[in-house]
Amino acid sequence: MPTLTIDNREITVPEGTNVLEAARALDIVIPHFCYHEALGAVGACRLCAMRITDGKVSGIQMACMVRAKDGMIVSTLDPDAVELRRHVIEWLMTNHPHDCPVCDEGGECQLQEMTIAGGHGNRRYTGKKRTYANQDLGPYIAHEMNRCIACYRCVRTYRDYCGGTDFGVFGSRDRVYFGRVRDGQLESPFAGNLVDVCPTGVFTDKTFRFKSRAWDLQEAPSICPHCSLGCAVVPGARFRELQRIRAGISPEVNGFFICDRGRFAKGSTNDPARPRQPRIDGTPAAMDTAIETLRTRLAAVVARYGPQSVALLGSPHASLEAAVLLRDWAQSLGTTRLVYTAHAEQDRAARITGARLERHARSLNDIRGSDLVVMVGADPLAEGPLLALAARQAVRGGGQVAVIAPQPVELPCRASQLILPTEQLDAALHCLAGGAATTLDATARQQLEALREQLAGAQRPVLVGSSARLGGRGVNTLFDTAEALTTPERTIGVMMLLQGPNSYGGAMLAGRGPNFDMLLDGIEDGRIRALVCLESDPIGESRDPARTQELLGRLDLLAALDARPTATVARAAIFLPTRTGIEADGSYVSNEGRLQAFARVMEPGVPLRDTSPAGHPPREFFTETPGSEPWPAWRVFARLLGRSEDLAVLRREIADLDPRFAPLAGIRPEAPGSRLTTTPGLPHYQLDREARE
Amino acid sequence: MNLWRDIKGTLQAYAVTFGYLFRKPTTIQYPEEKRTPAPRYRARMVLTRDPDGRERCVACHLCSAACPVDCISMQAAEAPDGRRYAAWFRINFARCIFCGLCAEACPTLAIQMSPEYEICKRDPLSLVYEKEDLLIDGGGKDSDYDFYRHAGIGVANRRGGNADEYGPVDPGALVP
Repeated sequence: MPTLTIDNREITVPEGTNVLEAARALDIVIPHFCYHEALGAVGACRLCAMRITDGKVSGIQMACMVRAKDGMIVSTLDPDAVELRRHVIEWLMTNHPHDCPVCDEGGECQLQEMTIAGGHGNRRYTGKKRTYANQDLGPYIAHEMNRCIACYRCVRTYRDYCGGTDFGVFGSRDRVYFGRVRDGQLESPFAGNLVDVCPTGVFTDKTFRFKSRAWDLQEAPSICPHCSLGCAVVPGARFRELQRIRAGISPEVNGFFICDRGRFAKGSTNDPARPRQPRIDGTPAAMDTAIETLRTRLAAVVARYGPQSVALLGSPHASLEAAVLLRDWAQSLGTTRLVYTAHAEQDRAARITGARLERHARSLNDIRGSDLVVMVGADPLAEGPLLALAARQAVRGGGQVAVIAPQPVELPCRASQLILPTEQLDAALHCLAGGAATTLDATARQQLEALREQLAGAQRPVLVGSSARLGGRGVNTLFDTAEALTTPERTIGVMMLLQGPNSYGGAMLAGRGPNFDMLLDGIEDGRIRALVCLESDPIGESRDPARTQELLGRLDLLAALDARPTATVARAAIFLPTRTGIEADGSYVSNEGRLQAFARVMEPGVPLRDTSPAGHPPREFFTETPGSEPWPAWRVFARLLGRSEDLAVLRREIADLDPRFAPLAGIRPEAPGSRLTTTPGLPHYQLDREARE
Repeated sequence: MNLWRDIKGTLQAYAVTFGYLFRKPTTIQYPEEKRTPAPRYRARMVLTRDPDGRERCVACHLCSAACPVDCISMQAAEAPDGRRYAAWFRINFARCIFCGLCAEACPTLAIQMSPEYEICKRDPLSLVYEKEDLLIDGGGKDSDYDFYRHAGIGVANRRGGNADEYGPVDPGALVP
């Protein structure tokens, strides 16, 4: 733990920290380009010069290339260092084009900031500038090589960190070129990160091209809703349109990067087909009227058939607050028919994960530091791309990745692949745990035994599964395996890829309740007469869509709350539009049991580009925003329950009533979130049996 | 003594007033008569054009960022040739304080302050000017400046074709 003095202030930093990081810890800003927390230092840009006056290395040095040593005395304000930095930035600017007004990076450009910080205001160089030809990098990334300052951040991100192979640096001298061999779409599913890491405007978001300036965007810390990993994102909106999404920084989860799905898939927020108007029997109505109609019609069903004739269906996509209030509403109605996932098998897998994860829980950061990751049936690039990226970091750190799957799994890193049909995955897990796997052939058994040896010797091993592929039984076996291989010295970690961003939260709330297939049986024999779907589309998401569709027709009352134009919404007698995560505050519980909050980015409304033919705000004044009817789902239930419609009050109430959700009381969207304790004492076999009954 | 001073003070004032009756007045009969403002007078702003007659404004949002009263809004768009332009550009002159910071911020010399000060209207909404109301035909001051001929990204000329640029480099070249 060296102690050094920077600008007359002392700081003690961990061994191996460089001087630049030590200065950052003191909130001293040293201009830099090539250094990036996730990528490390390469000393390419020569901008972080400072004087070291005492110690073994002295003189003007690059801060990122010098390790902090005990007794170092560093000055960032030394006149020579300041002058060197001024010259370096002037030199970096000699070939930089004069196009800031038409560059999308303007306003959030590190080069702009460093040029100002470096004190370079007037161009002295009067010679000609170097230019490059650009490439077409596909529909997502725009390329403008003239702006390049050769910091190498893009190559280090794309090739080293993300494992892409179709992008690189070419040429020599002052002709170095960052691009592909030929024009074409970037192949890596993490290519969008080039936009975030490029300190200037070489790589910009093509879907956001010329739409807004960074300072005009409404931004808020949010959580990506596309998979169960819960990566931090920062969506930006303007004129009621979600215009772009950039990566948030969450050291425990996604680190600094996100996948292209999280960045470029904007969901239903701006979907022109999105239903925004509450409807009663196909007729538009006001939100209050629709809620009251839902209340009276459900009361009529309860009066006639009893409270158990009402079933409620939650969703892995709904916020935790809405899911908790749905449970409270079920209790107030007197029904126990409450399910949180329309797919019964995924539901079972999620509930077993919630009940058994406990000490096995691992974050993505743990996977990045793992020495052996075994993926059973999981396809991370499809189900949670950042997991694949985390596995790559494990490999870069000297770890190994083994895949057991029905077909070869594409990963951005080296991995041993064992191909087994889906029905043999269970046997393979048994074999890993030391059981006799007679159904497997000899070569597979041999490989699995080798893997078992490896697992026994690994210090920080993690088993990765997928609820979609393994199902309830497979997930259960995976946890059995993890427990069998756990020794007193170290626990085997588990990361289970679940269906949606709040699958885990729904599983915690569902407990021993029925599953959706049981609800369908109830509808079939007439015990269930009313179904309320919260942001769930049973027709599209259940195991047997045809049967579900047929049975939903038999209900006396089908009500839906959603932000998507689904088949269920089209059939619902009462429809209540809800807000997306961009338009409402809320929280999700990610697949490792981490409770994370997201903040509202904008108020709901039809994007200006769709309401105004000229594209500009209307010249008349209105008090109503078109399309602003949707409510947050939790507010609908708060109204139905007669509870406070203030989210902070609701969160405190939820935390007080259910100790598992205690962190909800003081939750902040910009904080890293906290891991919840899983349902204690719920035996999984009981769950399994109940699910079968 | 005091009486004499009072009489003198009264008559002196009359004498000054009487004297001005025979001089040329400094006030004018506005609106029948009008003054010619100085060339650098800051009144209503205009959007100018480049030497080729195309809009100079690239919708960079610097004017709206500089505007202390937030009276400028716009939306950028891209033309097929890659030129960035304002799809719409709106100034609320009912809110404008004619400080000239927008013209100072404008990197393409598109916004210039004109001497046209007679823009009072009874309906405040008619003081909201659109791009069509703001565009003038000429280039105003520095009328031969064309931003895209210096920007270095190949819109007015092909890439590397401006006077202050070399042609595109060949990254495959091996010449040291």
